Amino acid sequence: MKPRSPLGNEWIACPHCEAPCRRQQLPAGCELRCSRCGSTVIEPAGKKTFQPALALSVAGLFALFLASISPVLTFDVAGREQAGYIFTGVKELLHQGYWMIAILVFVASMLAPALYLVSIAYVSTACAFRLRLPHLFLFFHLAEWAEPWNLIPVYSIATVVSVVKLRMIGGVTWNDGARWVLAVAFLTLFAQQLFDRRLVEHRLGAMGLLGESGRGE
Amino acid sequence: MMTDAFRVSTARALVTTGALLYIPSNVIPVMTMTVAGKTEPLTVLGGVKELWDSNLPAIAGVVFLASFVVPLLKVVSLAWILCLHGTDRHQSARNTVHRIVHRIGSWSMIDIFLLSVLAAVGQLGALGSVIANPGAIYFCGVMICCLFAAEIYKPRLIWESHEDPKT
Repeated sequence: MKPRSPLGNEWIACPHCEAPCRRQQLPAGCELRCSRCGSTVIEPAGKKTFQPALALSVAGLFALFLASISPVLTFDVAGREQAGYIFTGVKELLHQGYWMIAILVFVASMLAPALYLVSIAYVSTACAFRLRLPHLFLFFHLAEWAEPWNLIPVYSIATVVSVVKLRMIGGVTWNDGARWVLAVAFLTLFAQQLFDRRLVEHRLGAMGLLGESGRGE
Repeated sequence: MMTDAFRVSTARALVTTGALLYIPSNVIPVMTMTVAGKTEPLTVLGGVKELWDSNLPAIAGVVFLASFVVPLLKVVSLAWILCLHGTDRHQSARNTVHRIVHRIGSWSMIDIFLLSVLAAVGQLGALGSVIANPGAIYFCGVMICCLFAAEIYKPRLIWESHEDPKT
C-alpha cells in the first residue's frame, strides 16, 4: 500500500472512536493503535487482499439462495407432515396478525443478509479488479448499515433450539435448508472478519473515488 | 445529518422505552403451544423452564442467557453509558461496554426466530400448533430499541466531556 501523501504530517481518524492519530511509517509487522480506545488504526502492511471476502460473500449468496428455497425442517405428528421454509415463518406470523415481528424476521434472516453479502461482493469486486463500478459508495455504506441486522448465525442457533422443542411434541427431521442456513452463518461470519473496511477505504482513495463527501460518519 | 445532541437524546429515549417494554415482554406470554389438544401459553422464562425440566440444561442455559440476561444487560449497560454521557468518568470502561453490547446484542433475537421457526412448522391444528402472543411484540420492541440506541450513540460520543454545552 503506498500512501498518497508524505508521511509524518497526516492525521487520520480512529475508525472506532474518531480520535485523531498521526499516520506513521510503521516497522514491518507493527500496527498503529489508537491511544484513546485501543483499536487498530493501521494494520501491518501487505498480507490482506480483497479476494477472500469476495469469494466468501459470493459463496454466501449462493448458500442464502438455497437456504431460502429449501425446507429447513419437517415436522410430523401422528402421520401428518409439514415442511417449514424460512419464509413460512414470516408468512405465518403475518397471517396471525403480527406484522411487526414478521417484518423483523424477514429483514434479519433474509433481506439484511442478502444486502450485506451483495454489497460486500460488489465492493470487493470493484477493489480487487480496480473497476470503477457505479454507486460504490452507496454499497459501501449499505454493508455498514446491514451488518448489525444480519442475524443468520442467530437464526441457525434458534433452529437448533426449535428442533429440541419440537422433539417434545413429535418427530422432527432436518432438511437441506438447515444445512444451508448453517453454511450462510459460517460464510457471513468469515466474510465479516475478512472484509476490511480500512483496506477498502484505502483502495477507493487510491482509485480517486474517495471524495470529501466520502468521509461520512 | 443528525447532530450530537439529537443522537444523545434519541438514544436516551430509546433506552427508556426499551426498559419499560422489558417488563411486559417478560410477563406476557410470547407464544401458545398446543400439543394434542392441550393448550399452554409460554412466557420467555416459561420456555426456559420447560427446556430445563426436560433435562436439557445446556439449551436452557443458552436460551436463558440470550433471551433474558442479554436484553437486561443491554438495557442496563446502555442506560449507564448514557447517564455518564458528557462526564469524563469511566470513559475507557464505557468504551469496552459499548463494544460488548454491540457484539452480543443480536443474540436476544433468538427468541423471535424461535417463534418464527415454530410457527412455520407447528400448524397441524389440534395435533400441534404454535401461535404468537402479544408478549412477542413487546420483546421485539425491546430488541429494536436497544439495537437502534447502540447504533445511534456512536462510540466517539463517549469521549466527549463537558465542553459540549448542548448536552
